[in-house]
Amino acid sequence: MYLFTGKIVSNRQLTRDIRYLRITAPAEFCRQAAPGRFVMLGCDDGLFDPLLKRPFGIMNRGDDWFEVLIKEVGRGTLQLGELAEGSCVSGHGPLGNGYPEVDSELRSKDSSPLILVAGGMGIASIASCLLFNNRRPLNPDCKTILLYGAARLDELLLLDEIEKNSADLRIETITDDGSSGRRGWVTELLENELRQHPASLTFACGPEPMLKNVQQVLCKFKTRGYLSLENRMACGFGVCLGCVQKMAATGDNGAGESAKVCTQGPVFPADKVVF
Amino acid sequence: MVDLQVEIVPGLVLKNPVMTASGTFGYGREYTPYLDIAKLGAIITKGLSLKPKTGNPGTRITETACGMLNAIGLENIGIERFLSDELPQLKQLGADVIVNIFGNNQDDYAAIAARLDQVAGIKALEINISCPNVKAGGIQFGTDPQAAANLVAAVRRVTTLPLITKLSPNVSDITKVAEAVADAGSDVLSLINTLVGLAVDIDSRRPLLGNITGGLSGPAIKPVALRLVHQVVKAVDIPVIGIGGIASARDALEFLLVGARAVEIGTANFINPQIGLEIVTGISDYLEQHEYEKVTDFIGSLQV
Repeated sequence: MYLFTGKIVSNRQLTRDIRYLRITAPAEFCRQAAPGRFVMLGCDDGLFDPLLKRPFGIMNRGDDWFEVLIKEVGRGTLQLGELAEGSCVSGHGPLGNGYPEVDSELRSKDSSPLILVAGGMGIASIASCLLFNNRRPLNPDCKTILLYGAARLDELLLLDEIEKNSADLRIETITDDGSSGRRGWVTELLENELRQHPASLTFACGPEPMLKNVQQVLCKFKTRGYLSLENRMACGFGVCLGCVQKMAATGDNGAGESAKVCTQGPVFPADKVVF
Repeated sequence: MVDLQVEIVPGLVLKNPVMTASGTFGYGREYTPYLDIAKLGAIITKGLSLKPKTGNPGTRITETACGMLNAIGLENIGIERFLSDELPQLKQLGADVIVNIFGNNQDDYAAIAARLDQVAGIKALEINISCPNVKAGGIQFGTDPQAAANLVAAVRRVTTLPLITKLSPNVSDITKVAEAVADAGSDVLSLINTLVGLAVDIDSRRPLLGNITGGLSGPAIKPVALRLVHQVVKAVDIPVIGIGGIASARDALEFLLVGARAVEIGTANFINPQIGLEIVTGISDYLEQHEYEKVTDFIGSLQV
């Protein structure tokens, strides 16, 4: 991982409070930025207010740049989201484990699809599985389906971009208010797919209530999946212990174990996470 | 070349006065991708207990103006796993290691200290009597001079290692605790641990931390820490290590100026994992520019 100062290449406002930023980074950072990994970003002003860097999923990357989605949820994200083109940002990453490779070992033998489930801002992490592959299919032997849920139609972000840059992808959307045509939760879409393809492999990222539901659905269909979690973290590299998540016990004593979302995650096997 | 070596006590000589504060530096290994940890004055481990500890449930950290509140709850791997899995690598990397210890009661503290007394590769023990985020142990000893003195005396009986006692700022008169633990056999004092704070959300009408309260750290607390170090340096004859909001070489020099023999860098490690060595270099550069031959000439040179 690298500590670097990046420059804002572009800053696009997607909704009232969501921005899409392209930032320069060292080539080695970009090479190591596998799908599902994240970057800590902070303003490079030396004023310590806001103090800590914030974690963001790396949504896309090129040879010397990467892209993140920033939603304003507090002072830190407000300040970062307002950075103008050309201004500097201090970065640390890529961090975390990322999604597992969709190889033959992970995938079941039949033609069951890979299902990507995104809720709200979880699209940043999920889309990296598609965009990093640069229009190549994730796995030539299986179809990929993106199930994408958000609060409203205008928060279904960058759909054209994702569609344009992905190969052999089917996209299904749903919103809380029905403004995209279908009303409900993204986990309803997941249930529909798993009913047809019970041996699918699922990757999911979104708010905790959604991930909880995804876990339950996967459990119901007895099928494998991975969840990408988010938590508050001060450091991002395994020392502050602010982001630990309870995990199913693997030891003999039956006591629950915990894992650091930053270094042991953010992606965990769905059946290991204890919400 | 400025001589940065400081003798804290005869058994504890540091190559430079910059250490890393317990709880912000893991077990040291986590920082090896970022800096050569052997070049730090010492690394101070995450607080270790006899048995592994899982820490507090719920949200553990939240940011505040120029600082952060944490309520981790002393999560750690336990002393035995530290000795088998972490210490050998630290020794191999050439790091000078100070182990921060805590327990639920006096016997626990003494048992860990006795266990570490026979272990090669540990330079000193830092006794944590000041964690605000656990119900048993920690701060209950740090706010009562007599309890603190009894605890330090119990640890003193079972170890020959230099003893540093880490003090809490959450007291009405820190010099009372400082004097008590000095009399009980602590060789060195380190201060301050975090200040107890609270953050609430007016929309959900709930505290932001699972533990309700947390420990405040970061640049926000530096003036308080500096005042307390200044006060304790004047009150006791044993050396003092300064901690609290240090994020630059100038910050570190401020603590040395008021009389700290060394400093510990805490929260700043989270923001910039290389800050420890940047501060070592910064101190050296400053002293060279101002024609000091050795850092000890600068320590305690505050003119009031």
